[in-house]
Amino acid sequence: MATVVVARPAARPTPRARDEEVLVWPDLVFVEFISAMLFTVLLFLLSYLMNAPLLDEANANVTNDPAKAPWYLLNLQELLLHMNAALAGIVVPTVWLIVLMVFPYFDRSTDGQGRWFADVNSVKNTVVSFNVGLWGTLALIIWNSGKAALWAKDWFGFSGGSTLAFLERSAALKDPSVVPWPGWADSIPYLWFNLKILDEGPGAGVTTFQKIDLPTLLVDIGIPTGFMVGLSCLLIFFFWKINWVHTRRDALITLMSGFVGVFLMLTVIGTAFRGPGQDLIWPWDLRTLEGIPGQE
Amino acid sequence: MAVEQPTQPTLGDLIYDKLFHNYVWRSIFRTGYPNTPRNQMLVVATNVFLHLHPTRIHRTHVKITHTYCLGGLTFFMFLGLTVTGILLMFYYVPSVDRAYLDIQNIQTNVQFGQLMRNMHRWMAHAMVILVFLHMLRVFYTGAYKPPREFNWVVGVVLLVLTFLLSFTGYLLPWDQLAFWAITVGTNIAGSAPVLGPKTRFWLLGGFEVGPDALIRFYTLHVIGLPLLAAIFMAVHFWRIRRDGGLARPL
Repeated sequence: MATVVVARPAARPTPRARDEEVLVWPDLVFVEFISAMLFTVLLFLLSYLMNAPLLDEANANVTNDPAKAPWYLLNLQELLLHMNAALAGIVVPTVWLIVLMVFPYFDRSTDGQGRWFADVNSVKNTVVSFNVGLWGTLALIIWNSGKAALWAKDWFGFSGGSTLAFLERSAALKDPSVVPWPGWADSIPYLWFNLKILDEGPGAGVTTFQKIDLPTLLVDIGIPTGFMVGLSCLLIFFFWKINWVHTRRDALITLMSGFVGVFLMLTVIGTAFRGPGQDLIWPWDLRTLEGIPGQE
Repeated sequence: MAVEQPTQPTLGDLIYDKLFHNYVWRSIFRTGYPNTPRNQMLVVATNVFLHLHPTRIHRTHVKITHTYCLGGLTFFMFLGLTVTGILLMFYYVPSVDRAYLDIQNIQTNVQFGQLMRNMHRWMAHAMVILVFLHMLRVFYTGAYKPPREFNWVVGVVLLVLTFLLSFTGYLLPWDQLAFWAITVGTNIAGSAPVLGPKTRFWLLGGFEVGPDALIRFYTLHVIGLPLLAAIFMAVHFWRIRRDGGLARPL
């Protein structure tokens, strides 16, 4: 006997209660109209008061320092300063977008939908996670830029010397004077032939996939990945221990709120606090230097 | 017993009747003025633009604090960007020789040109911010939950498309800000393992930002990405209706 399989949605739209409904015209259409008009007026006003920027004509021979991506990509540009370029520029955003897409398939409960912060502890969870993401990112940036060590030295006369140089920035861990790496550590072979992939364009040549540079791998990929994944898991685990995280939804709130904090801090630092040479500076000292390469 | 007599129509009534009850007007607008519940529902159901909405909606959803109109405003920014973008296209030629001069020309010689360019720029920034805030609203109200899982995924795609639309537009003024921002941005794309250099080459049409990059970004900005965004928006709006409207407590 043939079996007929009928596709059914996982959850159905809820039945409608007519007495709790209002007509779209005028109740909704007018709200939409007013908000659209309000934004139109505000944008006209902004456009009247503030001109879109236009610098000198593009010139490949005159570099901008600092050269910055559009503001919504400055979070990634900030990440680039702290880790491997492929990890910061491609892997992190791609993985995060996939994680975002997977949210509703991970949390399949229909509880608490349609209401702001419907779950118990969700406001506390959101506020604390957001702040941990925000200020934790700032702390990590200050540490990895060497500023924390500089201030410790200037204000308290504390200096870790070369053995504690990793306290200044993680990149110091690559230095053999800080960590006694064995001679073979920076060239561990894993391919015994010359694999040429997409070998074209400037800088192309013998592929670099044949050998692993362990110190670089650790500093540029291992430590940042450990921080990003480890701290997120640690925060969720901690909230689980203090009973703020009970459900998958709670865990997602921690993750999302932490992400918003991190995203915001990275964007603000990248936009307003990075000056020439991508050094940390105060926003009022921010100037864009233009120069001919080699003759600045 | 006094019987109420019908009053004589005033001049205003006659003019109104001539204007809105004639054959031509009725051929365009099937319903009368929406001042009765019947006409109010008919106008939403029969108007091509308004029929994105259902005729009725749950009373909690018209409260401004429920959605802050963020999704609708994002769409409104898209429409505004389309209008101002078309006006800018009248004067802009995407060639290295002309792009920068055309922008200067728009700002100085075209009537309201500076205003149109400013509107386009600030609306683009507003759209990026609004789409991000809309995502947060959907998340914190749990509106991604079943049966709206797929529409959340479509929303994430639209978020990426919004970023790409803004990014491709960034190069078009062909000034130092644009040139170096796109150089940095495409270098980020080029850092991907294995496929990075190829992706960067494909994006720029060469190894550096130049005439080929400008025409590619322009084409993507004015036709490729808006078309893709429009398709995904259509799916997004359609799914909102099919999945039972805005999320609300079960």
